[in-house]
Amino acid sequence: MNFAVDFSDIWPRVPYLLGGAWLSLQIAFLAFCGGMIIGLFGAMAKTYGGPWLRRIVDIYVSFFTNTPQLVQIYFIFFALPDWGVRFSPYVAVLLGMTLNAGAYLTQVQRTGFTSVRRAEIEAAETLGFTRMQSVRYVILPHIMKTLFPPLSNLYILMTLGTSMAAVFGVEELTGRAFNINSETFRSVEVFLVAAGIYIVITFMATLLLAGVGRRFFRAKMSYF
Amino acid sequence: MFEQIVDAAPRFFGYYNVLFLLQALAATFLLSLVGCVLGFGFGFLLAVTRRTTGRRLLPLRVLTIVFSEAFRRVPFLVTLMLVFFAFQALRLETSMFTVALVSVCLIATAFIAEIVRSGLASVHQNQWDAAAAMNFTYLETLRYIVVPQAWKVMLPPAFSFFVLFIKDTALASQIGVVELTFAGKVLANKGFPAALTFGTILVLYFALSWPLARFGQWMEVKLAPARTR
Repeated sequence: MNFAVDFSDIWPRVPYLLGGAWLSLQIAFLAFCGGMIIGLFGAMAKTYGGPWLRRIVDIYVSFFTNTPQLVQIYFIFFALPDWGVRFSPYVAVLLGMTLNAGAYLTQVQRTGFTSVRRAEIEAAETLGFTRMQSVRYVILPHIMKTLFPPLSNLYILMTLGTSMAAVFGVEELTGRAFNINSETFRSVEVFLVAAGIYIVITFMATLLLAGVGRRFFRAKMSYF
Repeated sequence: MFEQIVDAAPRFFGYYNVLFLLQALAATFLLSLVGCVLGFGFGFLLAVTRRTTGRRLLPLRVLTIVFSEAFRRVPFLVTLMLVFFAFQALRLETSMFTVALVSVCLIATAFIAEIVRSGLASVHQNQWDAAAAMNFTYLETLRYIVVPQAWKVMLPPAFSFFVLFIKDTALASQIGVVELTFAGKVLANKGFPAALTFGTILVLYFALSWPLARFGQWMEVKLAPARTR
């Protein structure tokens, strides 16, 4: 066995990797925001909508939560061009992740909606709140407290999910690790450093989210 | 475009292609099933180690915490590449399936250790204390007192992790494991319309994952303690 661990080729390239990490965080953030909006409408449709609307949302959620994100993006990236719909790799990944996140976030937000007690909504109605007002002033503050922990969990998982973009040639953290690998052939070392960066950025995200959750939403979250 | 799909469909659903797809489906299922069953075993060991109190076992406890914190924060694709290149560097001749299995096992161990840990924590402290008062050893406490109460709490999330991981194993196609996604790529490269191939792959994943997910939901309701049912 003549294998020696040698990081000397990797250290000068760490800033390049960190640039990739920044792109990973961007993709995760954008997809999460898009998914939140889809999820909010989905959850509202499931809670207040008619039977047909609920059925459509059900199909959307169960389809996207029961198929792999990777294959969904494959479909968007390779199959849609046959119909003349073309995306760049970055947009295809972002679109796939957003739709996927939207399905999971519909589920998560719906549990928040149903956790609001009937009496609270009736009280809001009695006070003459419109539906949008009761969502804004009664339901949202309540559900943020219950939903913030699972949401931040999902956000962390989505940050890890962005590594999928490397498959389509997006140069985020994993993609850049692949690039360095083919330049230097220090495979184990590159991926060890990339894994380390993932651990650091998700750990920082955990700390930040737990801090925000405790401070602003009175959510019960641990830092560890 | 639709004519093209209708045109290619009879050839696409020929005997050998269907056989190939079904084998790939089985590989996908086995990969996550075996990975998660092994992961459950190791995760259980990790969680049990983490609850020990002896001073001599302290380094071991720290190690379990580091392991499950680290592997829950590394993407599956990166773990896969690490295991793949580590095997290569150590000159271990193994199939790609084994490499993927080891990666699944590592990640599943880390996640399931946390599930088991919260399951053990769900048993009230009084039960542990009572067992200690009756002079049960740690292992006897687990065997006779804790696990009979905690398995109902641990099983549903562990099962839903398994179902979740069926979809994550799609990434194993990147190192050349012949599972469902890889089969889709092969067929698409053979010249079948991408919409048809990847559409079929999506449907097959759905057909595998949806019944299992429904079964998991049913189990969760069935095993829930009476007061929350």
